Amino acid sequence: MAGIIFDDIFKVKSVDPDGQKFDRVSRYFCDGDSFKMELIIDINSQIYPLKQSDKFRLVLATTLREDGLADEGDYDPKAEYTRIKQYEYVMYGKVYRLEDDDTGTDGGKMAAYASFGGLLMRLKGEAINLHAFEVDMNLYLLMKKTDY
Amino acid sequence: MDSLSFSSESDEDNLFAEHKKEKKIVFGPGENFRKDIPVLMVRSGEEKHPNDLLLTRMPVPPVCIRPSVVSEVKSGTTEDDVTMKLMEIMLTNDVLRKHKRDGAPNKTLFETWEHLQIQCALYINSEMSGLPPDLQPKRAMRAFTQRLKGKQGRFRGNLCGKRVDFSGRTVISPDPNLRIDQVGVPIHVAMTLTFPEIVNASNIEKMRKLVINGSDVHPGANYLVDKKTGNKKLLKYGKRDELAKNLRMGDTVERHLDDNDVVLFNRQPSLHKISIMSHRAKVMPGRTFRFNECACTPYNADFDGDEMNLHLPQTYEAKAEASELMNVKNNLITPRSGEPLIAAIQDFITGGYLLTHKDTFLPRAEVYRFAAALIDAFAKKQTKIRIPPPAIRYPVELWTGKQLIELIIRPDKGSQVSLNLTTKNKSYTKDLELCSKDSYVIIRNSVLLAGVLDKSLLGSSSKVNIFYMLMRDYGEDAAVDAMWRLARMAPVFLSNRGFSIGIGDVRPSERLLKEKGDLVDNGYEKCAQFIRELNEGKLKAQPGCTEEETLEAIILRELSTIRDHAGQVCLRNLSKYNAPLTMAVCGSKGSFINISQMIACVGQQAISGHRPPDGFEERSLPHFERKKKTPEAKGFVANSFYSGLTPTEFFFHTMGGREGLVDTAVKTAETGYMQRRLVKCLEDLCASYDGTVRSSTGDVIEFVFGEDGLDPSMMEAKDGSVVDFVHVLEHAKNTQKKKKEKIEPIALAKIEEVIKTEIEKKFKGKYTHFAQQTAEFLQSEVKKCKKWENEATSCSKHEKSVGNCKLCNNMQAYKDLLKAQCLTRPQLLSFIQLCYYKVARAITEPGTAVGAIAATSIGEPSTQMTLKTFHFAGVASMNITQGVPRIKEIINAVKTISTPIITAALLDPFDESLARRVKARIEKTTLGEICDYIEEVYLPNDYFLLVKLNSKRIRLLQLEVSMESISYAIIQSKVCPLMRGCKIVAHGKTIMAIRPPSNSKLSKTMTMQMLKYSLANVVVKGISSVNRCVIHADEKKGDYYSLLVEGTDFRSVLSSVGVDPKKTNFNNALVVAEVLGIEAARTCIINEIIATMDAHGIGLDRRHVMLLADVMTYRGEVLGITRNGLVKMKDSVLLLASFEKTMDHLFEAAFFSQRDVIHGVSECIIMGTPMTVGTGTFKLMQKYEKKAVLKKNSPIFKRPELALSL
Repeated sequence: MAGIIFDDIFKVKSVDPDGQKFDRVSRYFCDGDSFKMELIIDINSQIYPLKQSDKFRLVLATTLREDGLADEGDYDPKAEYTRIKQYEYVMYGKVYRLEDDDTGTDGGKMAAYASFGGLLMRLKGEAINLHAFEVDMNLYLLMKKTDY
Repeated sequence: MDSLSFSSESDEDNLFAEHKKEKKIVFGPGENFRKDIPVLMVRSGEEKHPNDLLLTRMPVPPVCIRPSVVSEVKSGTTEDDVTMKLMEIMLTNDVLRKHKRDGAPNKTLFETWEHLQIQCALYINSEMSGLPPDLQPKRAMRAFTQRLKGKQGRFRGNLCGKRVDFSGRTVISPDPNLRIDQVGVPIHVAMTLTFPEIVNASNIEKMRKLVINGSDVHPGANYLVDKKTGNKKLLKYGKRDELAKNLRMGDTVERHLDDNDVVLFNRQPSLHKISIMSHRAKVMPGRTFRFNECACTPYNADFDGDEMNLHLPQTYEAKAEASELMNVKNNLITPRSGEPLIAAIQDFITGGYLLTHKDTFLPRAEVYRFAAALIDAFAKKQTKIRIPPPAIRYPVELWTGKQLIELIIRPDKGSQVSLNLTTKNKSYTKDLELCSKDSYVIIRNSVLLAGVLDKSLLGSSSKVNIFYMLMRDYGEDAAVDAMWRLARMAPVFLSNRGFSIGIGDVRPSERLLKEKGDLVDNGYEKCAQFIRELNEGKLKAQPGCTEEETLEAIILRELSTIRDHAGQVCLRNLSKYNAPLTMAVCGSKGSFINISQMIACVGQQAISGHRPPDGFEERSLPHFERKKKTPEAKGFVANSFYSGLTPTEFFFHTMGGREGLVDTAVKTAETGYMQRRLVKCLEDLCASYDGTVRSSTGDVIEFVFGEDGLDPSMMEAKDGSVVDFVHVLEHAKNTQKKKKEKIEPIALAKIEEVIKTEIEKKFKGKYTHFAQQTAEFLQSEVKKCKKWENEATSCSKHEKSVGNCKLCNNMQAYKDLLKAQCLTRPQLLSFIQLCYYKVARAITEPGTAVGAIAATSIGEPSTQMTLKTFHFAGVASMNITQGVPRIKEIINAVKTISTPIITAALLDPFDESLARRVKARIEKTTLGEICDYIEEVYLPNDYFLLVKLNSKRIRLLQLEVSMESISYAIIQSKVCPLMRGCKIVAHGKTIMAIRPPSNSKLSKTMTMQMLKYSLANVVVKGISSVNRCVIHADEKKGDYYSLLVEGTDFRSVLSSVGVDPKKTNFNNALVVAEVLGIEAARTCIINEIIATMDAHGIGLDRRHVMLLADVMTYRGEVLGITRNGLVKMKDSVLLLASFEKTMDHLFEAAFFSQRDVIHGVSECIIMGTPMTVGTGTFKLMQKYEKKAVLKKNSPIFKRPELALSL
């Protein structure tokens, strides 16, 4: 599929470690399977609740269109995307910061921050996995629970 | 006048003759002056004769000055006081004449004469002092003096302030639908206020319509003035159609006030310039003036029945000036501190807060509903509102509230507004945007990415306010429009969501009650412990305090912590949906203390900083036992407003409440007077074209305003500097869009060079200091990009050649990502450009009335200061006067201030023992304090006093005394005259025998007794005027010691060994001026005012205080802002007369025949001429002189045909 810039399976490590601050939003700390990425993500727990040690597939894409053409960030209420239907939870937002996460070891680490209308995501790991990220880019987050 | 009242010592028979003689002496024979009187007076360069001061004829004003009032109830008229007095004078004069003719006894004659004299004096001044009691006027009368002086007098009541036409006043009410700069005017008012519109080609059709509508239909007109004849026609009746048809160019139509007219809107008290602003009128039904709540703060208005005034400027020039200078848009910021005053308030903040909450999710219908609130039906150009895509796409479409903020900042797609802001809000904890309270706000390109908006981002007095940022980066219109959109959307959102308060919000939970109970019990137990210690004498007194005072201080501290802790308990236990809590957290209304008082505990009631005093015999209320000091007997209210107060608690609470009320009443009067004095002193100072600040007479007060020539209202950074570099850089980086083909960042090697040349190119040698700051900031910023250059492109295995291994690829990607964040050349250029623009804009405009602004900036916040005088200044038990009394003290330049404190710095501030030694040198130590006993010794042939010094104590106090120095101190002492002749013999190291002088006139026993008692008071070491000296350890710097000296002897403290005189301060400017000079006094005034304002949390720009201090010191001595100081600062009679002591100044001016050039603000107001500040600074340099041809008027009664035939 075109436009996908990240795809991995994550496992929920902990939920709201500081205690639940919001009724409808929970913060999940997750670990990636194949790329050893760390993920912090806010999710509307009312419509898509996750439990500890749940596994899910996370796909980040720049567009929802099958042909991979970038959308301008405009909202078309009538548009239907087939891609959405394959997932259980889809969010739209923006990458707003790429941060150097220097730990001193060989191989630079970066952290990408994205905001989905205030629901934040931080994806931290080796720079190679984040090379397609750009500041101010539109971002679609697609999730689906998996068993393996 | 005075010379006519003669002494009455001479013989009664000769009295009258004597008078005649003296009169002749004064005036000489006939009307010829005596020439042989030596010259006593020279005025206006002319030699004058004292005779000129004598009134030889009574001045009688025309009847319009002393009108008679025809009474409707009873017959006849009521005459004016002046007329009555004149009648009395004439009557007495007739009586005198009759007495003379009839040969009445001299005594009667003389009494009548004297009576006449007094009546004449009372005619001028009815409050003349020094009259015998029987001759004093029975009732107060308004003579000429009384007409002029006082608040209602001619000067202050009619000349400095005049009643105006074309104005209105009514109750105000809120209307969030109005724009920020609009004011809703009732139709009734709109039809009464008129504007004289001159008919021209472009408005003639409109004017015709208005004339046809007449005065009873709203967009109409009341009068029509013909250009040629000047006739004024009422448009209420008559043939309006015809008039409209005959309307010609140049005619004037007095049309009704209509939409978009410039009006001035004002609320008293007008304490600062933003109490009067110009709005655009919006005529609407109803009977009240309405405006957007955002504009409440500058007027200090609420809607509990407040009334406000509206004025309609009558000329096009006035309109233009009002809308350019006084418009709400141009006054979003207070010049006091440069912070925004017009911003979201109350519900708008709550709405904004709840809207941006992390778990606010909105379905499409609601988003559309809220977006629709942003449509302005009255806008000239309608724009499309772009709804952003929903944040949650699937399984349901949901928007978050934060996405709507984008619509508030920038609703339409075409808008260029791109706001960038990164800041912490009120309740930030840690971890930047991942803060668990969502309190790190990031706005990028007008999109709110993270964080909730609260008072610091929406409300006034915050420089990170989003509207303020919009104003700085995109101009007033962007800010005002965004504010209006918030004002529209927030109420719609709130009423949709629901936000209310009920009894449940203040009902404490079981757990809360228990925790609070424990807190109170613990506190009470601790207090009881302290009281026990006091009774057993174990309580250690704090330095300079008695044990009782110490106990009070400790208990007060203990009890205030109870309330604070109770507040925290509340905070922990309340649900997050608690409405008062929400309001306190977002800062829209109320504080945590208010919540705590409602739910948990009202707390200690304090009366002037102490626990309630004993109003009854040894107790505060008769409900308690005598001498009881427990918290509940001394005004601690353990109940909450919810649980209800016990009777005693209630009484204590009313005591506190009463104090608050009295305070407010006293404060308003006091600060009002202070404001008036400040304004009178500073009103005419204005920035001129050469950058100096000058008074109206041309005296230079400051060479450069505020030492840098910058306008305080243009300071963008939070710390008070011109430009917030971090923000501007963020803005430049985000607005200078990166192109698809990536621009290479500037190479590090060249970058310093580039920065230097670019800044040089832009600034061209101007604002050197600022240019340097900019360069420094850029250099430090660029260093952060260094990493990109240094980073290797390959992993450690493939040193030279870029391999294709995974690690190498990673490094490459890493480097690319780093590169993308580096500063590019367009970004750098844009940054420098922005900085230059901002600093150039911030230069004070010539003509700015900096004086008036400074005066109001200091006066206005004083009204908000609570009169709670005392604050603990770090050190326990050391009080310093604060608040209004302190400001008053500084401004009045009072000689003896109530709490003089010298802050003495030490030569080595980290040496505690040095601090102790210096303290011993400075603090007053008496002989009584350091000796074990003073004994009278009587031997058969000798008698003396034996003093035993306590060497242990001396060593402990590190007193630098010896037997010699003590003996010297005793002999030099002025405590008792007997000491001079004493003979002192030292025995050993601690004992001295003092033999009183043998030549004493008193008996020996008496001498011994007197000596014994006065010896204890002899000061053996230290400065006698210093009662207390406390070592102060700085809390922040840890072991950083300084001394706080309570006393006025600044010179002695400065010269004490161990004190660092360069860093030692004193809080009395007058003494500082005497000891260190006028410049030091200026600094002292500045620092003291700023410190006082800071203690009350009032932001005040340093430049205003500098100007005030300069005015107080520019004459070379410290002048108070009082009537005495003002006389030395200004020489205009009219100004002084319109201030205080009106008649004194007028008499004096008359005596010396002074001239007044009419330059100052007060004088110009009195004369009704444009003043010489602001837009009145300009003068026509060349005046075309046209000889005025004046016809000589001949008075009507001089014409022979009209003359009376006598």
